[in-house]
Amino acid sequence: MVVVSAARDYINRMLQDISGMKVLILDSQTVSIVSVAYSQSELLQKEVFLVEMVDTISKSKESATHLKAVCFLRPTSENIQFLRRQLANPRFGEYHLFFSNMLKDTQIHLLADSDDQEVVQQVQEFYADFVALDPYHFSLNVPSNHMYMLPAVIDPSGLQHLCDRVVDGIAALFLALKRRPAIRYQRTSDVAKRIAHESAKLMYQKESGLFDFRRGELSPLLLIIDRRDDPVTPLLNQWTYQAMVHELIGIQDNKVDLRGIAKASKDQQEVVLSSEQDAFFKLNMHENFGDIGMNIKRMVDDFQQVAKSNQNIQTIEDMAKFVENYPEYRKMHGNVSKHVTLVTEMSKLVEERKLMLVSQTEQELACNGGQVAAFEAVTNLLYNESVSDIDRLRLVMLYALRYEKESPVQLMQLFNKLSSRTAKYKPGLVQFLLKQAGVDKRTGDLFGNRDFLNIARNMARGLKGVENVYTQHQPLLFQTMENIIKGRLRDVDYPFVGNHFQQGRPQDVIIFIVGGTTYEESRSVALQNAVHTGVRFTLGGSVVLNSKRFIRDLEEAQRIAKSSTNVV
Amino acid sequence: MATRNRTLIFRKYRDALKSVRIPTSSSSSSQQPLSSDGRGGGPVIELVSTSLLNPNRSYAPLSTEDPGNSSKGALTVGLPPAWVDISEDIAANVQRARTKMAELAKAHAKALMPSFGDGKEDQRTIEGLTHEITGLIKKSEKKLQRLSAGGPTEDSNIRKNVQRSLATDLQNLSMELRKKQSTYLKRLRQQKEGQDGVDLEMNLNGNRSRIDDEDGLDDMAFSDLQMARVKKTEAFTAEREREIQQVVESVNELAQIMKDLSVLVIDQGTIVDRIDYNVQNVATTVEEGLKQLQKAERSQKQGGMVMCATVLVIMCFIMLVLLILKEILF
Repeated sequence: MVVVSAARDYINRMLQDISGMKVLILDSQTVSIVSVAYSQSELLQKEVFLVEMVDTISKSKESATHLKAVCFLRPTSENIQFLRRQLANPRFGEYHLFFSNMLKDTQIHLLADSDDQEVVQQVQEFYADFVALDPYHFSLNVPSNHMYMLPAVIDPSGLQHLCDRVVDGIAALFLALKRRPAIRYQRTSDVAKRIAHESAKLMYQKESGLFDFRRGELSPLLLIIDRRDDPVTPLLNQWTYQAMVHELIGIQDNKVDLRGIAKASKDQQEVVLSSEQDAFFKLNMHENFGDIGMNIKRMVDDFQQVAKSNQNIQTIEDMAKFVENYPEYRKMHGNVSKHVTLVTEMSKLVEERKLMLVSQTEQELACNGGQVAAFEAVTNLLYNESVSDIDRLRLVMLYALRYEKESPVQLMQLFNKLSSRTAKYKPGLVQFLLKQAGVDKRTGDLFGNRDFLNIARNMARGLKGVENVYTQHQPLLFQTMENIIKGRLRDVDYPFVGNHFQQGRPQDVIIFIVGGTTYEESRSVALQNAVHTGVRFTLGGSVVLNSKRFIRDLEEAQRIAKSSTNVV
Repeated sequence: MATRNRTLIFRKYRDALKSVRIPTSSSSSSQQPLSSDGRGGGPVIELVSTSLLNPNRSYAPLSTEDPGNSSKGALTVGLPPAWVDISEDIAANVQRARTKMAELAKAHAKALMPSFGDGKEDQRTIEGLTHEITGLIKKSEKKLQRLSAGGPTEDSNIRKNVQRSLATDLQNLSMELRKKQSTYLKRLRQQKEGQDGVDLEMNLNGNRSRIDDEDGLDDMAFSDLQMARVKKTEAFTAEREREIQQVVESVNELAQIMKDLSVLVIDQGTIVDRIDYNVQNVATTVEEGLKQLQKAERSQKQGGMVMCATVLVIMCFIMLVLLILKEILF
């Protein structure tokens, strides 16, 4: 059920039966899909000596007919157009076409029409249509993610586009895993309902032959939920390694771009943070900041030992040993400097933005604490000069989400203070957020103050004290997962699609969050999977969010909503 | 892992469309003789190879002389460019070196086994094989350097990647060879020390027993026996040193090769190993290369050098004419 190995298997199969020198042709989406699962050196081993993008292959006039082209593309109309142009004037000797999702008959017709030189040897559908970031976490990199916040009437085609991409991604995932799921969705979210119904239609009616896997086991569960049910998690500052790097610097397709940082050396301008390729990262990606510091120090000490012994070359034997171990040494050196650069940069940002202080208040707002104390703390931080604009906005948003109903007067005061202190963010954004994800719109018990059991649990936790103030927040997803394991997920809140009623507890659960996941949630999933409860979770989303991205989506959606009301 | 094969449907459509199109093909081909960039039978080979090696495309007119051979014929696969031969050579060398390494491993094992003979033949086979393998690796490395010539053409990316893949193979090969050699060396040393140790022990025991038995009378005899033994030990030591020296030499040679290769090999797990990074870089370097070429062309055309040269040539002619006039008039 591991998504990374599913993607790798597809790529292996694409390349293995074709002999000779090959060219791999990708589009902007599939290049991400392939890059996270396969490395350049592995491509070279399979004799793929050139990788090109489909939109630029027709620009060159040089022909290389001794090469065979392996095209791995999404079946969009633009790609079909590019392919038609290329097939009319082929540059390469043979063309093997692989599409990451289902082709329509009209598209095959169009391709066959332009292939008058009969260079196409095969046309296959290999369903690797998702970006496999970690073994139990995938994303779809949807460009117009903010559409999910808008009702269908405002931009029906945009929303249709988003839903189609999500349905395609989900279908591809289940085809890769060869399962057909029972589907549940969050009742209060229209977009989740729409996606759930369209997926069910695809898997059970339109292409039921393709999805008909006769497996005796219990079918897996697909749960589609909405980001707006838990708007707190993307807004919080993070303190575990992978989540923190994404929050402070930004990870895209397992790559970190350090070019904005003046101190990074030339070969550390962009670095790769992949749990598959970096053993140190795999062990430390879910550890908190303090522990990472210690582990990195240990790694640096080990490295210094090795470096010292390498300088101590006296006999010819030592020389020979040094030359033998040089590749290992160089790899270790690169790895050590990568992690040290990242941690240094993050420490600097924490210091600059006073994140320890801000994050403490954030965690109090998210988890416990009284309203009065919270109001005071937020007001103090709003007046604090060294707190940045985005942090101020986050604090007010978190306060608003929590104490929306309790004291509207004080909330208005905070709005005024916010607008007086930051020019960039208007309080209208906070109100937009409340409209989208306020208390009335949420299903789950986000702050643990609806259910008696949760209130009691919170009180107990408050009395006991917390181990680490900065990591006390548990995303709502954690509760959802627990409910699924115990079979307590309410049908009222999360109904089944059609008649997919499931007996007993599922063994495999795929949770898809429309609007994006966060690395804190993927960490929750990974930790849950490590505890062997008999249920395996996989998490997916339309993008991977951090607070900047989430706020940007809100701004985009607000802008579109405002302009459409102006028109209407 | 589910997949779906659409090739049959595709072929069905393609054949159906072809049969619809064929009646109109003769008219379309006469209207567009150059539509396919000259993919007729004969000119293909020359066109392909010259288009990649000689940017002048002086053979292009050939395609216009063959309007009949338009795109309707099956696409003939052109010959690959010349450097592909070099890469195939290197790949063949690597394969040969691998088989020889297997032989070398067997020879090592045989030499290390205790035997009654002198072991000189084994040494010679080992030496020979090691030399051959090192020679193959050196030759391949030189050929590898030749692959990297050439400017920022489109072809250069393929060449660079081929180079990288072959460099990785060569590096692995040389590291394997060195590991085998160093283990052999270690075991050889252990064996010889063991032998010498036994020898020395025997010597000591022998001496002691002799000293115990007889006192002064056999002093001379002792020293002779001792001298003989010492000479034998010296001979052993000298020979062992020579062997070790040879192995160390080959280790050093390979170290040199590895240093050169390590520049070409990709470090796994770094950003250079990412496909999307390489694709982006290719785009930017090709654009850069194009800009540089255009700039170079422009500056060359406007170049002061060209003007200087033409001025000097004209001056030369004028001087020549003046000289001739001088001769004629005087």
